[in-house]
Amino acid sequence: MTELATMEFHPQPQAGEPKVWAFPAPERGTLDNGLTLLRCHRPGQQVVAVEVLLDAPLDAEPAGLDGVATIMARAFSEGTDKHSAEEFAAELERCGATLDAHADHPGVRLSLEVPASRLAKALGLLADALRAPAFADSEVERLVRNRLDEIPHELANPSRRAAKELSRELFPADARMSRPRQGTEETVENIDSAAVRAFYEKHVRPATATAVVVGDLTDIDLDALLGDTLGSWTGSTAQPRPVPPVTADDTGRVVIVDRPGAVQTQLLIGRIGADRHARVWPAQVLGTYCLGGTLTSRLDRVLREEKGYTYGVRSFGQVLRSAPDGSGAAMLAISGSVDTPNTGPALDDLWKVLRTLAEGGLTDAERDVAVQNLVGVAPLKYETAAAVASTLADQVEQHLPDDYQATLYQQLAATGTVEATAAVVNAFPVDRLVTILVGDAAAIKEPVEALGIGEVKVVTAE
Amino acid sequence: MPMGHTATDQAGTGGLTATEHRLANGLRVVLSEDHLTPVAAVCLWYDVGSRHEVKGRTGLAHLFEHLMFQGSGQVKGNGHFELVQGAGGSLNGTTSFERTNYFETMPTHQLELALWLEADRMGSLLAALDDESMENQRDVVKNERRQRYDNVPYGTAFEKLTALAYPEGHPYHHTPIGSMADLDAATLEDARAFFRTYYAPNNAVLSVVGDIDPEQTLAWVEKYFGSIPSHDGKPAPRDGSLPEIIGEQLREVVEEEVPARALMAAYRLPHDGTHEADAADLALTVLGGGESSRLYNRLVRRDRTAVAAGFGLLRLAGAPSLGWLDVKTSGDVEVPVIEAAIDEELARFAAEGPTAEEMERAQAQLEREWLDRLGTVAGRADELCRYAVLFGDPQLALTAVQRVLEVSAEDVQAVAAAKLRPDNRAVLVYEPTAPAEIADSAEDAADDPESAATVEATDENEEAAK
Repeated sequence: MTELATMEFHPQPQAGEPKVWAFPAPERGTLDNGLTLLRCHRPGQQVVAVEVLLDAPLDAEPAGLDGVATIMARAFSEGTDKHSAEEFAAELERCGATLDAHADHPGVRLSLEVPASRLAKALGLLADALRAPAFADSEVERLVRNRLDEIPHELANPSRRAAKELSRELFPADARMSRPRQGTEETVENIDSAAVRAFYEKHVRPATATAVVVGDLTDIDLDALLGDTLGSWTGSTAQPRPVPPVTADDTGRVVIVDRPGAVQTQLLIGRIGADRHARVWPAQVLGTYCLGGTLTSRLDRVLREEKGYTYGVRSFGQVLRSAPDGSGAAMLAISGSVDTPNTGPALDDLWKVLRTLAEGGLTDAERDVAVQNLVGVAPLKYETAAAVASTLADQVEQHLPDDYQATLYQQLAATGTVEATAAVVNAFPVDRLVTILVGDAAAIKEPVEALGIGEVKVVTAE
Repeated sequence: MPMGHTATDQAGTGGLTATEHRLANGLRVVLSEDHLTPVAAVCLWYDVGSRHEVKGRTGLAHLFEHLMFQGSGQVKGNGHFELVQGAGGSLNGTTSFERTNYFETMPTHQLELALWLEADRMGSLLAALDDESMENQRDVVKNERRQRYDNVPYGTAFEKLTALAYPEGHPYHHTPIGSMADLDAATLEDARAFFRTYYAPNNAVLSVVGDIDPEQTLAWVEKYFGSIPSHDGKPAPRDGSLPEIIGEQLREVVEEEVPARALMAAYRLPHDGTHEADAADLALTVLGGGESSRLYNRLVRRDRTAVAAGFGLLRLAGAPSLGWLDVKTSGDVEVPVIEAAIDEELARFAAEGPTAEEMERAQAQLEREWLDRLGTVAGRADELCRYAVLFGDPQLALTAVQRVLEVSAEDVQAVAAAKLRPDNRAVLVYEPTAPAEIADSAEDAADDPESAATVEATDENEEAAK
């Protein structure tokens, strides 16, 4: 029986006239205390986003104190000279605000979101946190214990466990990047309030910080507001810290983190490559999207939509750290999980996809669809203030010009199939990929060895 | 033809408006104009979810949702994804207990394409549905289940708690992901029958929100959806009503390889759409939302017995809602210590009610969450559909925040006293099978690489309903 519906069919409609949209241009300024300020008015966005970047990178952490930047970041919301830890949290929530802070390789970042009507109050609290954090002994001690409690949870999570192993494999043992961003049990337990305060005093000051404010700023006198809040934060001047070079060993090899009985294998296959300063970046974005940006990209077309081995495999480029001179690096990786019995066949297909791409290249149609998507989704991707603020902050953190994102869209549109092919093939060379597999070694080791994608090593999970 | 056109701009809507229309085939349409950004969201809710599934076929509604992306009468293979993404749009679908939704956000000038695509699969999915896509998506969904539930610590906690909180045979006893055995058992004929039963214009609500011309949009909706025949014969979902409170404390202890002890619980709470549900939402926020809540202050800050402690609300309209407690213990702390502290806090809260400051904080938090939801065209489209499907009136979406702000401290105390008690909960305790040893060199990547695995993440998600 055929199931021809009784509906009336119409031909596929043609697109209307596109409307002009451009990534918003921020207004840049400096407060009297040296704080760099980017602001951007987004009509209708009632939840205002504020990002503050501190030049306190992980490589500035003292030896043996990995994690002190993380504890400092968390301690910003644990009390000030005006409020206890409990009061501070209560006051923030009274504004309907959320404040997140985290430490990563480029620095520490605080992200505030608050309804525009309560921006003044929330900015005051944020300024207090930066200007006069309490760093009380007991609160820091609690944060340290809490952090120690978190570690086993992270190790039990397959994707986080894979990320940990990849960093350890890729980077030299003495590089901060080889070690956990938030520290290990060994280093975290050495952290106390004195260490947090010392790190703060050495690395946190308005002169090397940037604030990004985005949202509907109608009827808000932002200059006055900032003067009363972030403007009252004082500190000495300082030179920006030099950025250490990033190196990695991408000799093709496989590490299996053994999880006996696991029903799936978590894959993380990576190396490092160019960051956004490189001319190749737009082509690399385009090519990486064609390889594994979505479920109709090459990887999922085979691994998911033909074979059903996975819920989804993605390829991506994620900036690790950038430098003003362009010597930074990005992690280039493929990740996903596949069922245990099909781990060998899935990796075999994955490598076949990479080889086929290297041999035959991308098609013009693939390139066109990728450009239409990457450029076309911009207005919806940047609908919220938080999304705009985050990208503006990324640009600052990565030493890029304020019009970088706007220019990137033009560059993507101008990138051809040949360039995109070359970029993605160079980004994912079949013999220069470090493969981490978190899964049941007894079931997957033999089939993976048979693939010839590099020496296979097994490590035991914690 | 469109009929029943209304436009309102009531107080408390934050300036948002929506108009309602109904096609002759029963399709309800909700439109909301907003020209700030040149984008338009299309959202389609079908009034079918896992509660409509029958014994032996759990997971069918969600598996079927995947099949909706495998082509339809005029759309080949993965065309729904390819065409939307190629037009600069994003799309997805999710399945929960009470509904299945499909949505696209498009640049304004591509809106018509999204409507054409949704109409094509509503009217002609079965012309494309075959064994090959059924077998493939069965495998994909089983891998989704492994990835999101079976292969992560505590991954099946929600499923276990749901099964405890809603008795055997109750339509909400099982979660949308379904069981492996039932996913294996589903046949192509099951999928076809499911479509014929539930996928009809008179069982759906379509919302279009954003930079739209309402008249033109309605004309397109009429053109593409208007000829799809309606049909009746959808069986009423099984009765989801239950006694007001559970009446005893249900309990299950799970011994599994998990990193730490955990205490989780599900409380039976009022149905979504009631004033009492909003009061319960505020109670749970005061008790366990954010880092100034009573449970966080008690367990994480003062007693230091927990790594994390919080409450969440799963709002349900066709059965009692669930208040979901999740506490992971710190170090060697034993569960009874945590449980005693929680009972003490809940009893105190029931006796004293929230302070004025706590009410202010909780209302401010929920208000911001609403602003976030309504601040994007996609979020607004989804909420309009939700209120239209579950409560028959999309306008209620625009005034939802007002209703939360109108709840009194007395109402919050009353719902806490009536519901947040030991004889109205199902408790799930995790005891690790091997004491979790901490490795000598533990690394954590602050960012899960998967979260960055995307320039645009777009794949079908089964909703965790959490």
